[in-house]
Order: sequence, then structure tokens, then C-alpha cells
Amino acid sequence: MQHHPLQSNAHQSLESETIACHECDLLIHLPPLAEGHKALCPRCNHVLTQKRRNARDKVFAFAISAIIFLVFSLPFDFLSFESKGNARIVTLAESIESLSLYNFESIAILIFLTTILVPGIFLLGLVYVLISLSVNKMYRHTQKIAKFLFSLLQWNMAEIFLIGILVSFVKIASMAKVNFGLSFFAYVLFIIFLALTVSNLDRFQFWRWVKIHIDQNQPNLSQLKDRGV
Amino acid sequence: MIKFEFDVTASSNGKVINCHVCLTLNSCEHNECRICQSKLHSRNKHSLQNTIALLFTGFLFYIPANVMPIMYTNLLGQKTGNTILGGVITLWQQGSYPIALIIFIASVLVPIGKMIALAWLCYGVATDRFSSYQKHHTLYRLTEFIGRWSMVDVFVVAILVALIQMGNLMSIYPGVAAIAFAGMVIATMLAAMTFDPRLIWDPVNAKSDLNQIKNQK
Ligand SMILES: [Zn+2]
Repeated sequence: MQHHPLQSNAHQSLESETIACHECDLLIHLPPLAEGHKALCPRCNHVLTQKRRNARDKVFAFAISAIIFLVFSLPFDFLSFESKGNARIVTLAESIESLSLYNFESIAILIFLTTILVPGIFLLGLVYVLISLSVNKMYRHTQKIAKFLFSLLQWNMAEIFLIGILVSFVKIASMAKVNFGLSFFAYVLFIIFLALTVSNLDRFQFWRWVKIHIDQNQPNLSQLKDRGV
Repeated sequence: MIKFEFDVTASSNGKVINCHVCLTLNSCEHNECRICQSKLHSRNKHSLQNTIALLFTGFLFYIPANVMPIMYTNLLGQKTGNTILGGVITLWQQGSYPIALIIFIASVLVPIGKMIALAWLCYGVATDRFSSYQKHHTLYRLTEFIGRWSMVDVFVVAILVALIQMGNLMSIYPGVAAIAFAGMVIATMLAAMTFDPRLIWDPVNAKSDLNQIKNQK
């Protein structure tokens, strides 16, 4: 990956695009990037965009894999616990739901949202947008979903849940035997593919794909408004 | 197309505004982004007020989160409350130094450090006291990145409660501090999200504009 520090006062070439840094608002001429290049804000070092090889195909494949593993992490045994002849086996849902036995439903819901629902909706929404881009249809929903995708991502805590499981494991390893079930390994794979999806997904490039899609489907809209600029 | 004077920001240029959702430059005349139709605004609205209010909320949660028990252990009918610090000490005594350190850093140091850092950033932005904008921006990125990781403790409680249910022999159930802790993490995450890092750089923009005016003369 090559770094590509930009000069804000660079001469504007025909293909370059003017953008503002999302984090410090500096106006920048963004030259066309080659695959594998990364553009940094010359002032605050914010990664403006990163162009990865086959990013769109990779993101799609990783997101689909993550969804499949998330589904597989639901039905089977997640964790099992054995101590002094007592055994307890829980699924992923049960491991979250147990809190509601003690009227801690609020926390159970919070954990369900941040570890299953939010990443799940993010992945489904992403796949929906990518499919609609490749078949050139469903413009209205595509745009609506694209708008909330990145704000969902801030609330995903799946990988932190995994660390929580490992910490609990260490805490009780001395007094009991804890085993990881099939669902647990599916959940670990889900987290790995989710991380791969996110690391290959660049917000700027993503919106560039959507923009091209909008231009092809509703050329009047963006051109008319463009004239004001 | 509008000609830009470079070395200026979108806001100090006064002609363009950046869409916060799809990162497209729009003409200032528009209220909605031409690509994604999101409402356009140059800075997060009431950024400092919201951040400070949320920080205050987070701090109110931080006290019960650390003082009250985050879970109770019922061992052979004997019920004891466990605070976060108590858990760290137990782990340390058991010799699990790395885990004890992780929990101590993630649940005691990080939350308070993050709140102090954000409060410092708000103070600096409000009074224009920064000498290094880059360093403060890095500090902001750190607080934003690290925020979610404090949730580890709440997850640990959930897993222990789910696994250890053997009646009077040995059971674990959640304590009020778990709710306070989750509230603290959410409040400080929202505080970091509402803080607009562009505010850190705004004094630089004002100064560079002054230089440009001087140059023109
Ligand atoms: Zn920047």
C-alpha cells in the first residue's frame, strides 16, 4: 500500500476532483488514484480514500460470507460450562437472554443490538446496495440504505463481545471447564469476515459507486443540481 | 464551476459545503445534498453543548458504575457483591496479570481518560488555546476509536450470568453497575460522535484567511 500525500495547492488537472477533508474541512484536489493507493489529507492526515484492487467484489464476497456465518452462529451450541457434575449449555441467544431472568432486559437488548442486529442489518443493507448497483435497479431504496450504512457501523460491537467471552473464559477457567460450541466458531468466523468487509470498504469509493449508479439511472437529477455549483 | 482559492476550507471559502453523509461538495445555495439528499450543514449543530452535556451524563454514570457491584456471586448460599475494581484485584491475586490489566485499563482508565480528553478538547476549542492542532486531532481520533471497547465489562457479566446458574451451589447475577456502565459507555460514545473535529481546525482557517487578505493588499 503506497501512501500518497496530497498537496492542497496542486494544479487542477482535468480528471482531478475537488473534495473537502471530512475531518478538517480543507479543500483538496484529489488526483485520480491508481489501485493500491491511499490519499491522505495534507493537513490532518485523515485517510481521505483508499483504492483497493477489486474492492467491490471483495466487499461483496466478504459480506455474504459474514452473513452466512452469522446465521450459522445462531442455532447450535455456543458455550458450555461444566463444574462439579453440573453442566450448562447455551446458544448465542440464550447467552444474551439470561440477563432478562433478573430484570436486566435493557442490557440484554443492548447486547443483542450491538452484537447481532446492528452488524446483521449493516451486512444485509450493504449486500442489498451492492446487488442493486450491479443490476442497475432499485434506486430509491439503494440511496436510503446507503445513507445509514456507515452510521450503523459505529454501533457494531461484535468483536468486543468476543473479547468479553475470552475474558470470562479466563475468569472461570480455574473453577470449571468451559467448552466452545459449533456456533462459537461460526461467530468467530463471522467477526473475521465482518472485519475484512469493513477494512475493504472505503466510504468515499462506496459513494463514488453509488454516484455513478445515480447518474446512470436519474441523469437529470444530478446534472440539474450540478449546474448550481 | 466555482474557482477555489486553495489552502482554504470549505467553510471559510463560503461557496461550498461538504455533505457529511456522502462526502460530496455542494454549492452553499443548496439545503440538501445533490447526490444523497441529506441535509447540509457546515459543522455539527451545537456540537460543543451536546458533547459537554453527554460528557456530564457519562460522568454521572461513571460513579455508580465503579462504586456499586457490577455482579453478585452466590456461593453455597453466601451472596457477595463484586465491583469492577474488586474483580481486577481478584484477577491480579490469581496471577492473571494480563487480564487484570486489560480490565483495569478498559473499564477504569479508558472511560475517565476519554472524558477528560473530550472535556479538554471542548475547552480548547471554546477558548482557542491549542498550539498543536494536529496533536489535538490525534487525541480526538483516539477517544473516538477507543470508546466502544469499554463495553467489554458488560459483556463479561452477561456471559458469566448465562453460564453460571447452579442455584445455591454457585450462581452469578447482574448488578446495577452493569446498567450504569453501559449508560456511561453509550453517553461517552455519543459525546465523541457529536464533537466535530473540524472545530479544532477552525482557528487555523481564520488565520490563513487573514494571511490571504494581507497578501492581496
Ligand atoms: Zn483533513
